[in-house]
Amino acid sequence: MVTAETAAEPGGKAFAVLGLFETAEDILAAAQGLRDKGLGRLEAYTPYPVHGLDAALGHRRSPLAGMVLVMGFIGAVSAFLFQMWATGIDYPIVVGGKAPMAWQAFIPILFEVMVLFATFTAGLGMLLLMNRLPFYGHPILSSASIGKITRDRFALSLEAYGGAFDAREARAALEEAGATEVEVLPAPEPSGPWSANYLLKGFFAVGAACLVAGYATYWAVKLFPVLPPMVHMEDQPKLDPQEPSALFRDGRGMQSPPSGTVARGFLPYSPAAPEEAAGLANPLPRTEPVLDRGQKAYRTHCAVCHGVLGDGVPTLTASYGAKPANLQARAIRELSDGKIYDAIVRGKNAMPSYAPHLSVEDRWSVVHYVRVLQRAQNATDEDLERGGRP
Amino acid sequence: MRADAAVPEALRTPPLTDGAVTPASLDEQVLRFPETKPPRKWFLALAFTASLMTVGLALIGYTIYTGIGVWGNNRPVFWAFDIINFVFWVGIGHAGTLISAILFLFRKTWRNAIARFAEAMTIFAVMCAGLFPLIHVGRPWLAFWLFPYPNQRALWTNFRSPLLWDVFAVSTYFSVSLMFWYLGLIPDLASMRDRTQSPFRRKIYTVLSLGWRGAASHWSHYEKAYLLLAGLATGLVLSVHSVVSFDFAVSLVPGWHMTIFPPYFVAGAIFAGFAMVVIVLVVVRETMNLKNLITDFHLEVMNKVILGMSCLMAYSYLMEGFTAWYSMNPYLHHVFRQYVGGTYGWAGLLTICCNVLIPQILWFRRARRSYFWMIFVSVAVTVGMWFERFVIIVISLHQDYLPSSWHVYKPTLVDFGILFGSFGLFFTLVLVFARVLPVIATTEVKMVLPGAQPGRHGAP
Repeated sequence: MVTAETAAEPGGKAFAVLGLFETAEDILAAAQGLRDKGLGRLEAYTPYPVHGLDAALGHRRSPLAGMVLVMGFIGAVSAFLFQMWATGIDYPIVVGGKAPMAWQAFIPILFEVMVLFATFTAGLGMLLLMNRLPFYGHPILSSASIGKITRDRFALSLEAYGGAFDAREARAALEEAGATEVEVLPAPEPSGPWSANYLLKGFFAVGAACLVAGYATYWAVKLFPVLPPMVHMEDQPKLDPQEPSALFRDGRGMQSPPSGTVARGFLPYSPAAPEEAAGLANPLPRTEPVLDRGQKAYRTHCAVCHGVLGDGVPTLTASYGAKPANLQARAIRELSDGKIYDAIVRGKNAMPSYAPHLSVEDRWSVVHYVRVLQRAQNATDEDLERGGRP
Repeated sequence: MRADAAVPEALRTPPLTDGAVTPASLDEQVLRFPETKPPRKWFLALAFTASLMTVGLALIGYTIYTGIGVWGNNRPVFWAFDIINFVFWVGIGHAGTLISAILFLFRKTWRNAIARFAEAMTIFAVMCAGLFPLIHVGRPWLAFWLFPYPNQRALWTNFRSPLLWDVFAVSTYFSVSLMFWYLGLIPDLASMRDRTQSPFRRKIYTVLSLGWRGAASHWSHYEKAYLLLAGLATGLVLSVHSVVSFDFAVSLVPGWHMTIFPPYFVAGAIFAGFAMVVIVLVVVRETMNLKNLITDFHLEVMNKVILGMSCLMAYSYLMEGFTAWYSMNPYLHHVFRQYVGGTYGWAGLLTICCNVLIPQILWFRRARRSYFWMIFVSVAVTVGMWFERFVIIVISLHQDYLPSSWHVYKPTLVDFGILFGSFGLFFTLVLVFARVLPVIATTEVKMVLPGAQPGRHGAP
């Protein structure tokens, strides 16, 4: 253990000898006197900046101004280029009739980012880079004089810094220079940071940080966005099919049409029986768009049972027991358009009504398309000679 | 106090402290507050402001939960109390930066005694200010959309919008003010670390003071950094309120689209901020017995600044009116008639009365040194400056180009509750600060005490 007493002995491990002075003038005079004696590194500790002390101690000018200039410039340029890139190149967008690269609008943010970079360089550069703070292990912090220094006393210290350091000589010189109190600071015990205790604490801290960060992320990503009021916009008065709704008096989301009205495109079907439908004529012309529409509707709704070619071979598995009609059968080929239409609307045998799925136009288009399929599968030599033309 | 024979007696700086103040007595007087139990009246004041704050916070919660439909804002008055309060509080903050940075550059040593409190008020005021745009966006949990970050929408923020400039200006201003304030606190925290007897407090101060040891080499960098920060903060504070004024001036609303807005807003901000500093400092120096450090002289110079700013405001109002008249723009003429004549004409007249007429009493030295008059003027200025923003925002918006959408704006109780809640938040923070941290920058005051500096530089 190095104490103040042993440290002062010749060959003892003293870090510094500290002399306290009463006034700023005293310390300035003493500093000027001690500077050239070469007894050790000369440093002063004062409660506030004392003018002229820098020159007396031979400090260089602080390089902060240059650092601030450079970092301010970097901030300004990067803010400007980023705005130009984001608005002019990455996602060019015209706002208020201005060109994407209208640089004048980018000046305010350029200025703010420049100030941000410059001020944080000045503040943090001073603390972290220049003054190497925070540092809690400096011997002066555990000295008896620190309380006086941060209040109203001025301390000059001669510190071991390379070279030979004789604490007794330093003490004598300080006393000669007019120090009212002199204190010898022992060198701090070297302490290795890699003790088992330190590692254990480190692992514990990392583990705790991971737990906290993990839960915080889970909370922020999974829980927070689904809490009210964050979900209020999803939770709106609106109609959902098959769901109850408070918007109607009867509490149903889906409403029957008011009596005596007809929805657009849903004219009531007039034939009361299949026989009456025989006389209906296909109102649609046999044009390519109509046939395309018929093909699409047929393949969507009909082909799964009646087959793509209309031959009654379902694309379903064998376990599908109902035997779909073969649309190529003579009986069906000879049916009138109206009867086929009626089968779509009303359904037949096991086939349900397809009216809800197919609009009137779709149904008549399907009728046209069925005729196309029938003709294609039962082509005559005459058809071949005509090269497929009607 | 500079012994310059060429300066006439009336222009010399009087002593900055009353009676004998030494560095040790200063520490004893100022740094003892955090270690002593606050008096009963402090708790009473805190209970009052904290309840105001609680009401405000509850109403903010109600607003967020329900939506901003609970406010009076409705088309075409989409900006009302929220933006008025934002501009008001940002403006209050600017006095702190003016005192700590601009007066530092001018080497006005009287600023050292009040800089700490003014800077703290800056930070608290900007906190209050930041609250309002945040709740005005309606879904504050998505407020991070204000910042340009790579996102799945592949879209950047609109860098041409003054509202985005505002985001950058106010967030930069807050971070810079906070750092400026903290750097100033470090040496004081070191003093508190070394004088406290309580091991628990010592631990906190040790951590906060970052191991500051007052080395001359450190002071050299510290002073340089402080000077640089003061220079940068000066530009920043002017830019921040200019950018706030761009929110209005860059739009095409009659009454907003004016080139005088940036300097006019900056002057108004300093005006309102100084008034708030005077109100708080009078209370602080009386209740905390700091009369010897914050002297009548300090209050008098601040009142002079208020008077000067009041004259600038008068000029701005006249110039604004002249510009409107000279524009020969019927829409602008209409809006300016509304400022003093229409539904809200009383607000315009109240603004002129509070900001221009009442502060003229400060031409009298007796008024500048009388608590009654300075508080009266400061409260009038605070009210007047709030209503000035009401005039600019609500009156300009409520009757613009399209008469069919004209609308008389009526604030709701929630609007008022949040406004008073923000005052509660501000004064709660001020009260807590006054008992937790050194209210006067002891290091900076020690630096300018008589005999603090070696003689050849001339005792300040």
